[in-house]
Amino acid sequence: MHRRTLLAAAGATAATALIRPAFAATTLIDEIKARGTLRAGLSTFVPWAMRDKTGKLIGYELDVGTRLASDLGVKYEPMPTAWDGIIPALLAGSFDLIIGGMTVTPAREQSVDFTEAYSFTGVAIVASKKVAPGLTSLDAFNKPSLTVVARRGTPAATLAQEKLPLATLRQFDDDAPALQEVLNGNAAAWLTSAPKPAFAAVDHPDALYLPVEKPLTAQRDAMAMRKGEPATMAVINQWIAARKADGFLAERFHYWFEQRSWLPLVQS
Amino acid sequence: MLAVAGFAGFVVFRVQTVLNYHWSWGFIPNTILRYDADRGWVANLLLQGLLTTLRLSAWSMLLACVFGVAIAVGRISTQLLPRLVSGAYVELMRNTPPLVLIFVGYFFVSSQIMPLLGIDAFVRTAQPGTLELIFWLFGEPRLLKNFLSATMVLALFEGAYVAEILRAGIQSVEQGQWDAARALGLGRWACLRLVVLPQAFARMVPPLGGQMISLVKDSSIVSLISIQDLTFMANDVAVSTTRLFETWITTSALYFAVCLLLSTGFRRLERRLAR
Repeated sequence: MHRRTLLAAAGATAATALIRPAFAATTLIDEIKARGTLRAGLSTFVPWAMRDKTGKLIGYELDVGTRLASDLGVKYEPMPTAWDGIIPALLAGSFDLIIGGMTVTPAREQSVDFTEAYSFTGVAIVASKKVAPGLTSLDAFNKPSLTVVARRGTPAATLAQEKLPLATLRQFDDDAPALQEVLNGNAAAWLTSAPKPAFAAVDHPDALYLPVEKPLTAQRDAMAMRKGEPATMAVINQWIAARKADGFLAERFHYWFEQRSWLPLVQS
Repeated sequence: MLAVAGFAGFVVFRVQTVLNYHWSWGFIPNTILRYDADRGWVANLLLQGLLTTLRLSAWSMLLACVFGVAIAVGRISTQLLPRLVSGAYVELMRNTPPLVLIFVGYFFVSSQIMPLLGIDAFVRTAQPGTLELIFWLFGEPRLLKNFLSATMVLALFEGAYVAEILRAGIQSVEQGQWDAARALGLGRWACLRLVVLPQAFARMVPPLGGQMISLVKDSSIVSLISIQDLTFMANDVAVSTTRLFETWITTSALYFAVCLLLSTGFRRLERRLAR
């Protein structure tokens, strides 16, 4: 009897140690300003983010992030991350935001909160002249004899699974091997975000062609943050609205997506 | 020799005809070392990645040996509990795919254990001298937390294999040596330390060498948890320049060079112990 009450008392004391006083937690934006750096996760996605010849990260999302950080009065620290694990890394606190051209999807919205969309692309398709010549629509690729390729974990892969159930879908961890498969004649088509298919068709006019000129879907890309940060969300959304209004985002989008004068920075 | 060269030439010829690929190697030296106007010759992405891989492998091996010794001693213990616990640890680590272990282990370690150690605060308030030391030993100070998490997880994983190698080495020493040591009046620990381990050591070196070489190659898994090792950097370079094959062939050559160096080192060690 005596031992049991002692045990119960010990248990109760231990339990009270776990009860923490509820005090106001600092918001993400306060943390960023206190730390003096904005850490953003991204992955290599030409031309959203890529490495130039000096090893520095350049691209559309780098310009957006650098401008956001300077407007907030902090330094910008991009953290290259494998795309497959970028949301778990955000949730584990490795960085503050994902500024890497992440498309808003319902599945992702269950784990993270998205800001207002600030970049609008879509999934597009480029096909092999050798394996599947002369096709002019997405549905034409829905045949069991055709293989299509896409990057794992992207809306392009999801679209391929939904719209091309009869075709064989092969998924890769990056876009470059996927393109190589089509160039080698092992796949009929590559689905990925615009403008890459158009760039690929320009680079390899003898091997590739565009079955459909325009993007197949409309995608909204936004920044992602952990759930439960309303104050930070308001600040970032206000910043996005301001940068849309003064044309900064449109100008940067045109530079990176609608022309390729930046190519010598990356390739010899 | 001629047959090998002929076969290699045939493979290259076949690959050329099948692949629709325009080879261009000119950019490779720049990805290893580049000339900066202000700082002279600076390491570029691939060399930075290689240094991270070397640091990661070295620290993981060290830590894995520590874990391995503890677990091996547990495995040969006369008491049931140490034997059960260390046996469970070895079976868990050896029979789970390393990718799963790294993913789950890394997120657990970095979000639960690392904050307790206060790494971020330490790095933020450290002196420049300390930061310099951290840079040489562990790489960039701001990535210290990630580096230590990855090292710990890799060490936990490899520790199981090291433990089995150590256990095999100890158990391969003849029972006669134990009996003779006991007859001299040495206790169990003294037997182990003075008689058995010195003899077991020479037998453990070849498989330990193989395990270390394997560790260098296995460390490429950490690129999936975004440690910027050689594989991660090679991937960035390959995707940014769209020159897949040249980048990956160069990366394999770098891994090969490191592993060959280790292999030669271990062979020298074996020869010295055999004398």
